Amino acid sequence: MTALAELQKRNRIYWTVIAVLLAAVLAMTIVCIFAGSSSMTVGQCLQALAGVGTDAHNRIVWNIRIPRVLAALIAGAGLSVSGLIMQTTLNNAMASPSTLGVSNAAVFGANLSIIGFAGGFLSTGGNAANFALGANPYATSVMAFLFATVSVLLILGLCRLRSFSPNVVVLSGMAIGSVWTAATTVLQFYATDAGLSAAVIWSFGDLGRATYKTDLIMLAVVACSTVFFLLNSWKYNAILSGEATAKTMGVDVDRVRFLSMLLASMITAVCVAFLGVIGFVGIICPHVTKKLLGQDHRVTVPVSILSGSLLLLLADTLSRSIGSGTKLPVGAITSLLGAPFFVAIIFSRKENRRC
Amino acid sequence: MLNIQNLSFRYSPGAPQVLQGASLSLERGRIGIVLGKNGSGKTTLFKNLLGIHRPQSGKVELGKTNLLKLSRKERARRIAYVPQDIHFGALTVFDSVLLGRVSYFGLRSGKEDYIAVEKILQDMGLEALALRNVEELSGGERQKIAIARAMAQEPQLMVFDEPTGNLDIANEQLILTEAKKLAREKNITILSSLHDLNQALHFGDRFFFLKNGVIKYAGDQSCVTPEVIRDVFDIDVRIAEIDGERIILGGTRK
Repeated sequence: MTALAELQKRNRIYWTVIAVLLAAVLAMTIVCIFAGSSSMTVGQCLQALAGVGTDAHNRIVWNIRIPRVLAALIAGAGLSVSGLIMQTTLNNAMASPSTLGVSNAAVFGANLSIIGFAGGFLSTGGNAANFALGANPYATSVMAFLFATVSVLLILGLCRLRSFSPNVVVLSGMAIGSVWTAATTVLQFYATDAGLSAAVIWSFGDLGRATYKTDLIMLAVVACSTVFFLLNSWKYNAILSGEATAKTMGVDVDRVRFLSMLLASMITAVCVAFLGVIGFVGIICPHVTKKLLGQDHRVTVPVSILSGSLLLLLADTLSRSIGSGTKLPVGAITSLLGAPFFVAIIFSRKENRRC
Repeated sequence: MLNIQNLSFRYSPGAPQVLQGASLSLERGRIGIVLGKNGSGKTTLFKNLLGIHRPQSGKVELGKTNLLKLSRKERARRIAYVPQDIHFGALTVFDSVLLGRVSYFGLRSGKEDYIAVEKILQDMGLEALALRNVEELSGGERQKIAIARAMAQEPQLMVFDEPTGNLDIANEQLILTEAKKLAREKNITILSSLHDLNQALHFGDRFFFLKNGVIKYAGDQSCVTPEVIRDVFDIDVRIAEIDGERIILGGTRK
């Protein structure tokens, strides 16, 4: 068989993997819409979907479950693909959306809003009584996003001044991230009990905060970035050969790296701002994908997107199903669910033969 | 014809000057070997030609084109690099070679790129490896694939940085023979650094000795003399001739 024919055969395998994952995501989406802590039957759900259910059921399906499922799909995809892109462009397997301290900055912004300005916590309920009722529910998200953006621009700006070497980016990201964490600790030290608990609860990832509006904003950022990542797949493949070699192949490495980092960080910033910290998706999904399918970004970008969505959907369904009425934070579930699987994959004896 | 004139470079303002007006010229389809001590600036010279570093001053002409004024993409279609430390990601051999076509296709590879890669793999006897993961292959095979990738750029000039550095003697021969074939059959100009002087004598057409940031001696085999080697490497050697081939012997520090 010629190399070309073999290549076509391999491409068919990739398409099959992508199709299977897509089907799994769709199936899981349906399961998520039908499953939840309110004991609705499948029939009641169908009625609500068609808009002919009771008011309560319609509201549960259309105002709670669907925005939440959409948030899981979008944020899972975004966090996973941004992890992949950061790992490639920084040539560092540990890189993930939190590498640049983006999440830490967002957490600080949110803490400042909640503790410092006692605002913006209304959308999650619970502690609302403790805070000014007139506060804008988006204030906390806006603050989180602003600080995350400032942090990203600060690090990327600093790195542009000096050479844009991956180690400089990772180290300055860690340093600036720890400054945000320290600042958050100081803030929490002076907080009232109610403010502290509100701030801590905010930092747990919770898909329940999503609304159609926030989903739309996340979708816009994730979709635009994904198009950019997909278009640059070959450039990422070139960067795997090393920065110098990629440059001699005609790739403007600095530019691709800067834009990729910016977009990947924006995805993180927007997801954390609206949903809180959802850790580990950006590490687990890209690594499992690479371990099983190799590093060709024409494949790993779409597969990471789909596996990220799938993981977050699974985690969210579990978080809503374990113990009726109480919802565990989805961020904890992603790690609880993903980490053992991740370790198993990393330690598996079967070396990657396929790519 | 490759023409390098007065290339000067330092890594940062205030740092020592690595290149201080290096000049050399090499005819098309010839193999030029750059020789010099470790740290003499061989790799730096190459990186300046390749656009990885930007020289402070000087000119690099390939034919009538000034390489330094070209865009990265345009440059990649004329000059290709086989680095000392070869990395690929976990890609197939086919995709790794296809990478060499990025400067032609940009975002999405087309059928003509596939055909070009298949032809290169056939020519270099790598077809059987096409779908193997590059990371699983031996050092010699990876080196060959790096050459195939450079070939996919359809360059007029290929730059090899220590191509035999990590190879055993059989693979050394394999790689040097492959490179020589490119020069002789495809008329590609080759500029390479090599540590082994005997290998250099055997492989090269022209020799350039780099010392203190300039090409101090240049010429054909006759320029490789004990005196020149003594000046550049600070060692005393003898040169013998066996079956018409010059061999460098000895090597005591002066």
